[in-house]
Amino acid sequence: MDMERTPGANLAMARIGMPAATSREQPVSGTGAAPVAAALTVKVDIRDVSFYYGKSQALKNISLPLYDRRVTAFIGPSGCGKSTLLRILNRIYELYPNQTVGGEVLVDGQNILAPGLDLNVVRAKIGMVFQRPTPFPMSIYDNVTFGIRLYERLERSELDNRVESALRRAALWDEVKDKLRQSALGLSGGQQQRLCIARAIAVEPEILLLDEPASALDPLSTQRIEELIAELKSDYCIAIVTHNMQQAARSSDYTAFMYLGELIEFDETERIFTHPQKKRTEDYITGRFG
Amino acid sequence: MAAEHIIKSYDEELNRLNKMIVEMGGLAESQLAAAIDAVATRDSELAARVIEGDEQVDQLERDMDNLAIRLLALRQPMARDLREIVVALKIGSDLERICDYAANVAKRAIALAQSPPIQPVHALPRMSTLALRLVRDVIDSYVERDADKALAVWVGDEELDEMYANLFRVFLTYMMEDPRNIGACTHLLFMAKNIERIGDHATNIAENVFYLVHGTPLTQVRPKGDKSSLEVVAPDRASGPAGTA
Repeated sequence: MDMERTPGANLAMARIGMPAATSREQPVSGTGAAPVAAALTVKVDIRDVSFYYGKSQALKNISLPLYDRRVTAFIGPSGCGKSTLLRILNRIYELYPNQTVGGEVLVDGQNILAPGLDLNVVRAKIGMVFQRPTPFPMSIYDNVTFGIRLYERLERSELDNRVESALRRAALWDEVKDKLRQSALGLSGGQQQRLCIARAIAVEPEILLLDEPASALDPLSTQRIEELIAELKSDYCIAIVTHNMQQAARSSDYTAFMYLGELIEFDETERIFTHPQKKRTEDYITGRFG
Repeated sequence: MAAEHIIKSYDEELNRLNKMIVEMGGLAESQLAAAIDAVATRDSELAARVIEGDEQVDQLERDMDNLAIRLLALRQPMARDLREIVVALKIGSDLERICDYAANVAKRAIALAQSPPIQPVHALPRMSTLALRLVRDVIDSYVERDADKALAVWVGDEELDEMYANLFRVFLTYMMEDPRNIGACTHLLFMAKNIERIGDHATNIAENVFYLVHGTPLTQVRPKGDKSSLEVVAPDRASGPAGTA
């Protein structure tokens, strides 16, 4: 009888060897058969950034990239430094005394922490939305145009177009188009937050920083914001700080886990939430004692 | 197990899930052992008890599924916790299947006991002993979260496959020798196939233990020892005409 030779047990054991997956290399652009998504480009390169509130160090040598047209989520317990990092990215920290920063943040290759850089240019490139909706006590229309007027002189009709497009992109247009002259303070929390996003994108930034944008919202408004993030992703580099791990898992492509001012792990979101490499990350996302 | 969850009831539920799997594993072992015993000793009462016992396993699987689904819905597990639950669901259905096969062997044991004993029945226990060891080891590997032990089971199934392939030929030979053996040998052949399938479920469990421990699936090709499904068997043509020549 023609018995095929089957590989012996030892051989099989030897083949098994390494359990780690090996197929994680980034796809090289242009060589793939299928037209895969555009190659990743680093929009913001955070290099060896440290930060001090007075003498206490809040960030310790953080280095990671934020990719263009991707969402990067920052997770970690309170006080881990994730909001501080976001504040560095648009240099809000400069508004306060005794706060010092080290390292570099390269936006399109330019170090935005360098002295002498025009802050307004930095901030026009980088929009930020905070945890609590921060509508200005003025009309919906004026809220959206507030940022634009700081940077540009536009014709009335052009301004109208910009307002409409920003509100549409923020998925708010249909709800407010008939009351643009009414006070923004009359909107619901979720609407106010989307208005803040509209205000941020009205100045046509390239990077959006969202600091817990949905933590004060009900679940439906939260989902609208998440849907919005998914849509905005096709045009912006987005960084989101969130305490809601499901939200990070749902809405980001990359996740950075921070702890006590250090970057513990940075990887594809799917990997972080299914198979993180560091025990501390796993303990945190599974709700264990660190 | 890793460090405890901040929410204690989460740990309690995961532990309960774990215990249910271990309990099912214990039942699978004892059901299989009893079924084999019933074949060897021609004990129809024991076989009947195995068949009855299958319901207990089915109930346990339903309870475990409910708990797992509850955990998925209410705890939104991540990373290792998620693997624990998904793997428990899969291992549960493999164990349930193993018990089904054991019950099947028991059913045929009752039929077999009604016909006169035949020689090849003695070939079955050796194969069964190996199957039982694979099941036992793979349950141990789950309890100990020991991926190496799981791998040994995964590889060890090849031997069971080979035994099955040999028995397949043995039973065929007996049937060709004397058509009166066909009834008993057919039962034995199905039993051997059932036991061989038990080995396959043990390897499924082994793969899941590996995934549970490492977080990456076992992607290698498993060595196969059984090619009987590809075999063509015909009455020995060589001997017939040769005799007349």
